[in-house]
Amino acid sequence: MIREDTPSLSLSSSVSASTQSFSSLSNLPPHHSALFSVNGPTQHLWLQELRSEERGLYLIQLLLSCANAVACNNMEYSNVFLEQLTLLASLTGDPMQRVATYFMEGLAARITKSWPGVYRALNSTQLPSIVDMLSARQVFFSVCPYLKFAFLTVNQAILDAMEGEKVVHLIDLEASDPVQWLALLQALSVRPGGPPHLRITGVSERRAVLEQTGQRLSIEAEKLDIPFQFHPVHAQLENLDIELLRVKTGEAVAISSVMRLHPLLAKDSRFSGSAAHEASGGTIDQVLRTLRCLSPKVMVVVEQESSHNGPTLLERFIEALHYYCAMFDSLDSTLPQQCPERVTLEKHLFGQEIKNIVACEGVERVERHEKLEKWRKRMENAGFQMLALSQPTVLQAKRLLHCYACDGYRLREKDGCLTLCWQDTPLYSASAWHA
Amino acid sequence: CSNLDGNSTNLDENSTSFSSKLQLEEREEEQQLPTTSNPATPATTTTTVSSGQPPGGAKRKRNLPGTPDPEAEVIALSPRTLMATNRFVCEICNKGFQRDQNLQLHRRGHNLPWKLRQRTSKEIRKRVYICPEPSCVHHDPSRALGDLTGIKKHFCRKHGEKKWKCDKCSKRYAVQSDWKAHSKTCGTREYRCDCGTLFSRRDSFITHRAFCDALAEESARVSAAGKHGGDSNMVVVGPSMSILGGVPPSSPHGNNNLGRVNGGGDSLASIGILNPLEYDVPQAPRPSSSGGGGLLPMVSSATGSLFAHLFSSGGTMPGLHGTHPGNSGATSMGMGISGFSDFTAGANQTERGSATAGLSLSSTATGLSSCSSSVYNNGIGSVPSGSLLFNQQQQQQQQQQQQQQHTATAQMSATALLQKAAQMGATASNSMLRGLGFGSLSNMPSLFAGPNSGNMGGMMPPGLGGGSTRGEDGSDRFTHDFLGVVVFAPTIVANLEGFWPLGNRSIFFER
Repeated sequence: MIREDTPSLSLSSSVSASTQSFSSLSNLPPHHSALFSVNGPTQHLWLQELRSEERGLYLIQLLLSCANAVACNNMEYSNVFLEQLTLLASLTGDPMQRVATYFMEGLAARITKSWPGVYRALNSTQLPSIVDMLSARQVFFSVCPYLKFAFLTVNQAILDAMEGEKVVHLIDLEASDPVQWLALLQALSVRPGGPPHLRITGVSERRAVLEQTGQRLSIEAEKLDIPFQFHPVHAQLENLDIELLRVKTGEAVAISSVMRLHPLLAKDSRFSGSAAHEASGGTIDQVLRTLRCLSPKVMVVVEQESSHNGPTLLERFIEALHYYCAMFDSLDSTLPQQCPERVTLEKHLFGQEIKNIVACEGVERVERHEKLEKWRKRMENAGFQMLALSQPTVLQAKRLLHCYACDGYRLREKDGCLTLCWQDTPLYSASAWHA
Repeated sequence: CSNLDGNSTNLDENSTSFSSKLQLEEREEEQQLPTTSNPATPATTTTTVSSGQPPGGAKRKRNLPGTPDPEAEVIALSPRTLMATNRFVCEICNKGFQRDQNLQLHRRGHNLPWKLRQRTSKEIRKRVYICPEPSCVHHDPSRALGDLTGIKKHFCRKHGEKKWKCDKCSKRYAVQSDWKAHSKTCGTREYRCDCGTLFSRRDSFITHRAFCDALAEESARVSAAGKHGGDSNMVVVGPSMSILGGVPPSSPHGNNNLGRVNGGGDSLASIGILNPLEYDVPQAPRPSSSGGGGLLPMVSSATGSLFAHLFSSGGTMPGLHGTHPGNSGATSMGMGISGFSDFTAGANQTERGSATAGLSLSSTATGLSSCSSSVYNNGIGSVPSGSLLFNQQQQQQQQQQQQQQHTATAQMSATALLQKAAQMGATASNSMLRGLGFGSLSNMPSLFAGPNSGNMGGMMPPGLGGGSTRGEDGSDRFTHDFLGVVVFAPTIVANLEGFWPLGNRSIFFER
């Protein structure tokens, strides 16, 4: 693993020169200093003898240096750092090691992308597996409270807004998972006053998923005796033709967006930084204004609460490092270290996100998470007004968190919005709006 | 109108816009824009003249009902106006007209002075109308209707008296056009379900038929489920279904249909079908509460069986939320507001002892076995393996958690590491890493084994940088900078100043 010949780095020459001085300086146990005299696998051992805290700190430094090297497009230095990283990072180690693995991979992908042919060839057999992704999402849903928090908040906001309504039209901006609406159906069926006539319009780019979602929901609605219609809209949200949504007279409209708005920011990437363009409104503003024209009674927005859309790599890198460290910590306290589901989840869900944030640019980079403040401004620009999340919502969210054995999850309520944090790091924020 | 025909030649300059107006019914404004046809309106609203069309000749987009243009003018008409017909009366012969235009044209026939008003402004100002009834949903400007005909009909239907009655059946209508439309189809087409119910509409017939099958199945299973005890769902479904079965054929008028179904829903709720207490206990057997739908304990995705089912059968997706053992179908009744206890119940699973998990798993397994719904048969086979796996994982997880807690002090969390690195960086002297918010490690002798004079001590990989404090001249400066970063051979370090374009400036933000 250690390169024997290092043409540009001349490690070997320096080793012999500085060995003596080094070993006398350091307070390492003697056998460590013996290692320094030779290259080869012994260095590996040395690194493995690091205590986890030291290793963690070293990883952080390596990551940052590597990020810097990659940002400068310096292949040589990136390589050096990456080598060290590969020695220390591990898919099944402690959270810092795991996070480092994915960031390291992201950086390597990024620097390789400067040779697009190499990158594409290297990834030609690694087709993203939908089964893996769905599996990861399933684990994410069942093990962590984040998705449940999102669904719960959305559903309760809808229930609050639709009190007394006889006909409810719900538009799901990413209808790939019926779980959320199954719970809403349950809640609606026990509503005092009876359930409303519910229409769900699901927007998604995947037709098969839409069909299945629709079928599943229809069956559940039948069993609960709720008049129900599912209307699949196979379209891209960026170019959504509002007529496709078929909003009818007299319906109360609710819109649900769970982590579905940030990919829309990618389309504007060509013009990012151009003040003129931003003033006129990019794709996201158009979509929000279009949605506003539906006069929804409530639109709930849940997004990752972090700033992963900075203009420079290092900015994004550091923000993302903090974010995913917190996320991986929360996983660490919920799942055992050797659990394969955890690896699946980390790899296929978060790993992909990290890779996207770090390695991709332009329209490819879809994981453009932004903080609530920015979303708030966008929504207000589009003509929405904030609707404070009700007390029942907050109570339910708190109740949800109490169910989790570890007490690292924190709920912050501010200005009518809810933020779910791990310790002190905010992870997801939820807010509700109306036209 | 005979007068019009006789004078048509005189009206050439205005003929286009007028004839289009006359063909439109019930438009009182002078800006005559062809409205889209309301499906219940027998009147044709298409115009035959081309120049009376909207500006620009563009095909007019159908307005999205209920989604008013924010710049539209909101008009509140009084109930009298909405219900009025023939407001404009000729003074000579007392003939009533719905529109002023029509009256004016009629007046020509009496040789009375007439004035026909044209479109007053070049721009078409979109108008939306609100319902005068304060308790109505459409009283709010944001829910205004875009069509005058629409608001009139709405007002009559919802807040008016039902004066029109169908001959054949007992249905009454407030709007004449509705009544006409109904009487055309009443009795013409019939669907009859096996249970004897008649339907005039195909879609409601199909919906009912689906229920009807379930009804038969449920009643067959009631006797079997009775032994399981305490599953009120089963018991109740029978009578409630019959309520629905007794629903009269749906009318073309959507509201009525909804009303009935809602009524059915009310009765369900009142019967207590969804008694929350029943479902808080995960062990409560739920043989077929959702026909097995919500019960599929495709536990964790460890087996991947959940998605194998999804993609192989192409049928209904098994209840994802049902993946939690014991978290079956309608458990989430909670206390009314918590439709989400299925979420929380799922979370509960992670903390309960394996005994509970095992128990609930076994109960759902038995539940499934009695489920006759063919849709979910695919998944049943995989239940045991999935559930056992999850069970084991739970045990492992708890042991792991305990172990992890013991070693908590020894293992810092990733976020703690980041904070520590940031703290150290903040106290460091001029360095790139500090600029990044982390700083060098030159001031952290305590962390590593032993003291070191500005070295990283134990952090130094062999041969790199450790000796650089005494290495070549000129490299000391860089060494300090990069002690925290990585360690390079001194020869490299010497070259690095030129390399790093960022130099030693702390250009990056502190987080």
